[in-house]
Amino acid sequence: MYPYRLCFCKEGALRYISHLDLQRTFGRALRRTDIPVAYSRGFNPQPRLRFALPLALGVEGKNEYLDLDLSAPLQENIIKETLNAQLPAGLRVKNVSAVESSQPSLSSLVQAALYVVDLSVCPADLSRGLNSLLQAQELFVERRGKKGTRKIDIRPFIHRLEIRKQEKGEALLMLLAAGSRGSARPQEVLALLPARGFKDKIYRADLFVFRAGELETPGGVSVERYVEVFYGKENCD
Amino acid sequence: MSGKDLDAIFEEVQKPARYLGREINVVRKDPSRVKTRLALVFPDLYEVGMSHLGLKILYGLANQREDVYAERFFAPAGDLEKLLRQRGIYLFSLETHTPLQSFNLVGFTLQYELSYTTILKMLSLGGVPLQTAQRKEEDSFVLGGGPLALNPEPLAPFFDFFVLGDGEDVLPEILNKYASWKKGAGSREAFLLDLAGIPGIYVPSFYEPLYDGEKFNGVKCLKAAAPLPVKKRVVNDLENTFYPESFIVPYMDVVHDRAILEIFRGCSQGCRFCQAGYIYRPVRERSVAKLKGQARAIIRQTGWDEISLSSLSSSDYSQIEELIAGLQQEFAGRHVRLSLPSLRADPFSLHLADKVQEKRAGGVTFAPEAGSQRLRDVINKGITEKEILAAAEQAFITGRSHIKLYFMLGLPTETEEDLWELVRLVEKISALRQLAGKRRHSLRIVVSASTFVPKPHTPFQWEPQLKMAEVKSRQQFLREQLRKIKGVQFTWPAAEMSFLEAVFSRGDRRLAAVLEKAVALGSRLEAWSDRFDFALWEEAFAGEKVDPCFYAYYKPALDDPLPWDHLSSGVANKYLQKEYEKAYRAEVTPDCRREGCQGCGLQNCPLKQVKKNVPL
Repeated sequence: MYPYRLCFCKEGALRYISHLDLQRTFGRALRRTDIPVAYSRGFNPQPRLRFALPLALGVEGKNEYLDLDLSAPLQENIIKETLNAQLPAGLRVKNVSAVESSQPSLSSLVQAALYVVDLSVCPADLSRGLNSLLQAQELFVERRGKKGTRKIDIRPFIHRLEIRKQEKGEALLMLLAAGSRGSARPQEVLALLPARGFKDKIYRADLFVFRAGELETPGGVSVERYVEVFYGKENCD
Repeated sequence: MSGKDLDAIFEEVQKPARYLGREINVVRKDPSRVKTRLALVFPDLYEVGMSHLGLKILYGLANQREDVYAERFFAPAGDLEKLLRQRGIYLFSLETHTPLQSFNLVGFTLQYELSYTTILKMLSLGGVPLQTAQRKEEDSFVLGGGPLALNPEPLAPFFDFFVLGDGEDVLPEILNKYASWKKGAGSREAFLLDLAGIPGIYVPSFYEPLYDGEKFNGVKCLKAAAPLPVKKRVVNDLENTFYPESFIVPYMDVVHDRAILEIFRGCSQGCRFCQAGYIYRPVRERSVAKLKGQARAIIRQTGWDEISLSSLSSSDYSQIEELIAGLQQEFAGRHVRLSLPSLRADPFSLHLADKVQEKRAGGVTFAPEAGSQRLRDVINKGITEKEILAAAEQAFITGRSHIKLYFMLGLPTETEEDLWELVRLVEKISALRQLAGKRRHSLRIVVSASTFVPKPHTPFQWEPQLKMAEVKSRQQFLREQLRKIKGVQFTWPAAEMSFLEAVFSRGDRRLAAVLEKAVALGSRLEAWSDRFDFALWEEAFAGEKVDPCFYAYYKPALDDPLPWDHLSSGVANKYLQKEYEKAYRAEVTPDCRREGCQGCGLQNCPLKQVKKNVPL
């Protein structure tokens, strides 16, 4: 088995396809190529694709990740170009790198995600709202699950909230815990803030894993450096 | 519509993937550079419509032309419909999000009687005047095709014209006529008169129904150019006719999310209740070589992992074993599954099903249709109890998890004894579960009994539907009896839905007002049982002073004029009458492909030359 890690973006109209749709779309795009994809065993063999973290419907993802197993090695740039020729506009592979087969999959490593909300007009009371959220000891929200509604405290899952100036107006950055160890959803945080109505301009900038006690992107960029250098330049090409 | 409006809609609806129109293989053109804009409309949700082969064929065929842009429309789900109304937005196409009213030709597929109200609703949401008489020169022409175009009378006031039979040959002729009409800028009627000269085109406004009191009494031709009868079109050379290879691949899960190979068209079994079996005659096959090539191209261009070998009775394809083996060889190691829908309930079919499904864990579906041999002979379902049991036995031994059995209730001549026979047949099948050893406890038998709906152009067009109260009591009987059998699950559709199907199936133009009324009262997507509201229909019938029971239960004499007599499927009325009489004698008619021509009257039938007793 030859595992590769793909970094891709999902934007434009494609932000409206679900996570399940996305899995199917990649599976079919791969089948339209000659890339030697490894398949799962069993009754209904599926291409061995493991997505790092599902993205909510309607949210764009600038740096999303998936691990793909091939049955034979292939040059990274060939995988990227071949696959991009088959992906619909709005989905684009930005980078492919071979990973050690002993490495655990990204989905088990992802601990946080950075969400960005573009604010063409920054409401005056927003920063006050942010401060009071950050000072709160606990923030209970209702979450609907299969077993009915339950209340959970999302305060421990909010790592960072800040407003930054950018070319056009300002942006709200939210670094939130994600993955199996507990998470806060961007919509839950937004619902706690005084200003509403900016939900259509939200995107997920990147995902973060803990390495040596610090949060960094799967590619090894720390949160601090990400916010200073990469943030705002997450284009798809 | 602005991109902002569109985004706002996508943000708010539950499943935006239904309306994106950005799928793989979607056709992108500059609408300002084509002469004709064609709307292909499926009057049901995206997930149903995107499973339909006819739409894919016509989409591919029309878009091959540089002067035409064909775009798709599906019925909006309730959430989108509400938004469209609130915001004053017209129903829009998937490809370019253009309002329906901006299309020159608006073509609906007529698959199911209960979609008629959805059609009217879509026209009105799309800003197209409902009645042909209200349409002005610049308005769209509304056309319909598909199986129900062979009796579209309840829809007559809303449609400019209908296409009878296979659409592949007719559509290019319509597009040519439209292009030259548009250049000349004649009247709407001039275009329709021109169209009426194309074989297979039915312009309802050129015919006037006559009534003798309440009784339908034939039609009067109002124009010399209008043929009588209008004959269905047939693609004779299926092998070389257009077939799409770059199918649009949906993002979301649709009902049939797979490649479709149409292995043949038509069916020679001659089941007497089955409209498809009569109106799609004659049987025309594609060659194994052709199908293999199509399969290769489709998988290459779509990336699907499943191919369905589609037809009305797939085990009847003359080289089915060669085809399956050939496709399996073609896709060896590439994880492409084959599936075989519409199998007969016999051991040969199960043998085929086992071949395509190497791991036999799934289920298998059989349609014995009737419980007793006598009744199966009445409907000419050429299958014996021995065959059904042998197939079931094989299914259980080879490891199937469930068997689905389709029956029909209320068939002509059905008695209580026939229902007891049905119960006994299910009992016998249930007893066979022993053969599965330890797994027998988890084996399920799903029995489904739909209600018989008499269909035009079949030998049972002269039969009434069973009265609704009696339908319900027979459903209740089966429910009680089948509950006693281990591992059996029983499902049945609402008697009211089947009743309405029967009303519109053999309906005439007097029903059009009821459709309009039902839409005004708020009916929509009736094909979905959870949205079906019979009280609303009762109100609509009462409001228009139309008695639905008259249509569902009338039993015309064999020589009475019928509302669809001026539309010909190619099968002779005399033959249908003969079949009707044979049904009452429980006399079977053999498959003409095995036993030679049975004289159905079809012209240019390639099977007429088949000699008797030639094995397939």
